[in-house]
Amino acid sequence: MKLYLGLLESSRPDETRIFGELEEKLFDVTLACAAYLTQLTGERASAYKLAEFYFPKSIQHFLERDRFAVKLLEEVTAFVQSKGASNLCGPAGEKIVYDREEIRALPPLVRPRKSFVIGFSDKARAEAIPRSEIPTAYYKLPQTFIAQGAPIVWPKFSEDLDADGCFAVVIGKAGRRIPAEKAWDYVAGVTLMIDITARDINKREGLTTNNLLGKNFPSSTCLGPAVLIGAARKTIESLELEFLVEGERRQYFSLSNCIFTVEQIIARWSILGIRPGDWLAIGGSMTIFGDRLQSPVPLKLGSAICCRSSLIGDLSHRVVSA
Amino acid sequence: MKLVTFLYHGEERIGALDSIGRIVDLHKAFACWKHETESMPHADQLAGAILGQDMLEFLQHGEKSLEAARKSLAYIAAIEPASNKAVVIAPSEVHFMAPVPRPGALISAGKNFSDHVAEMASKKGPAAPVAFLKLPGSVIGPEDDIPYPPEVKNLDYEVEVAIVIGKTCVRVSEAQALDYVAGYCVFNDISARDIIRSENQTGIHLMGKSFPGFAPMGPYLVTADEVADPQSLKLRLTVNGEIRQQSNLNYMIFKIREMIAYWSQMELHPGDVLTTGTPRGVAAGRKANETPWWLKPGDLVEAEAEGLGVLRNRVVAES
Repeated sequence: MKLYLGLLESSRPDETRIFGELEEKLFDVTLACAAYLTQLTGERASAYKLAEFYFPKSIQHFLERDRFAVKLLEEVTAFVQSKGASNLCGPAGEKIVYDREEIRALPPLVRPRKSFVIGFSDKARAEAIPRSEIPTAYYKLPQTFIAQGAPIVWPKFSEDLDADGCFAVVIGKAGRRIPAEKAWDYVAGVTLMIDITARDINKREGLTTNNLLGKNFPSSTCLGPAVLIGAARKTIESLELEFLVEGERRQYFSLSNCIFTVEQIIARWSILGIRPGDWLAIGGSMTIFGDRLQSPVPLKLGSAICCRSSLIGDLSHRVVSA
Repeated sequence: MKLVTFLYHGEERIGALDSIGRIVDLHKAFACWKHETESMPHADQLAGAILGQDMLEFLQHGEKSLEAARKSLAYIAAIEPASNKAVVIAPSEVHFMAPVPRPGALISAGKNFSDHVAEMASKKGPAAPVAFLKLPGSVIGPEDDIPYPPEVKNLDYEVEVAIVIGKTCVRVSEAQALDYVAGYCVFNDISARDIIRSENQTGIHLMGKSFPGFAPMGPYLVTADEVADPQSLKLRLTVNGEIRQQSNLNYMIFKIREMIAYWSQMELHPGDVLTTGTPRGVAAGRKANETPWWLKPGDLVEAEAEGLGVLRNRVVAES
């Protein structure tokens, strides 16, 4: 199941809602859940309350409701499919099915505590396949996130941007110091991320083993379009990701090509503690293609880029000037 | 003003210290002032909307909340309200949190004092400001312990000053940079040197700076109008009473104005925090033949900056 986060046109910025997908349209999951519960129990008043509880205003909060909410999501999904988009409405007949254009897309995870990208320094990357026990990572600030379709604004301080298509593994359960063999119990799903880097700045910052400005400027983190929830481990590991520039494939991989496993990554970074809605991203640049790691892809002003994975969707953007 | 965030009966509240160090609850003070002088109905509910619910919102509301806070404090100072209203609270009744418990971004300067660059055996100072991100979630307050994680062998301290941004700034000039500062407080950049060393082999350091509790901040946020010359504040850090670091922000390589101007290229927002970097005297700078200074469970670390108070935390083994 895919979950989107969005805003209705008439809503305040903090009135975010969770949407699901049905016949190319989007439906309000909270109200669909209320409709389902009303049909099930005949109690409309409590159905609204329960639906708000399990499907609050963000995907992060939904994930905090844990497996009960995921189970309910499965039932709601079956319910909306049986109704069909044209017959689906809220418990009191409210409109809950929208055309995509009616919903303002948001990054599906708005303010995670941890939004880390696994990555090596340029020095380590000088080797075709660096040897390391430690899946080192860097942090992408939530204030840099943009949603599907939003422009990537070329920063004034850089001459040299590139992009790395990533899977962001989404955490569904809080834990700390999780052993590798339990790691998958903490995974709720996966979404797509494009990690934009100002490479000239990043190279300079790398000399002091830092990266900050080169990785954290407005619109340097594209996230979405949806979070794939409830997929089996095997499905997630074998999902393919294609990163396209002007429609041409420039990166291609699945999580199984990464030089670190999801288990290793979660075992390492859960040392700091992880919570529902946190994500750990793995990019093409950490996956092996042939006899070496793939590289990030250089961008130009005007480039149309797209990160694509069949079960998650397309995360597409254009690079514009400031 | 000396602004504070505190827990009172389990509830997070914002306040300011009065002239004798008591806490004035800002929401209650505002409500009291508006109710008693203008008979304003629902003044207590309005307080949250005007002042913001927490310190981050207070900062986001900018001049408006600052002005309302100042006027409320002046009123309370003049009338001395009944003690049962909990407008003025004794410090012993609360638990102080970090003044900004949840910064948006926490940007910490590295290699920003030449004496510290030398002790860390770096060849030379950087050409442009150097900084890294600490996780905002690692912030703790002046009455919290620093947890010593079992993964860490070499735990270190770094006294710094935190510069709290008060207005959104994008590519501001050095001349105007200080206009964007809400205030200043003491900061201790706790660092796990062994973890950092291992991370730096193939990547950048993140874990070594961001275990839970690795960012003590406080005890209070002194508003910018009360810090005449932030660039010349004296710094000091002691461990169990022994002086380890003693310096002055004058010795920063990239000054506060330069840091704000530079990092505003990535867009800074109210509640974002920049820290100055630390002078010499950290445990990592000790020579092989000297007694090690690594922090141990039980140590009391006191970081202070002139006019910003003392930030006192005990290191406690993580259970």
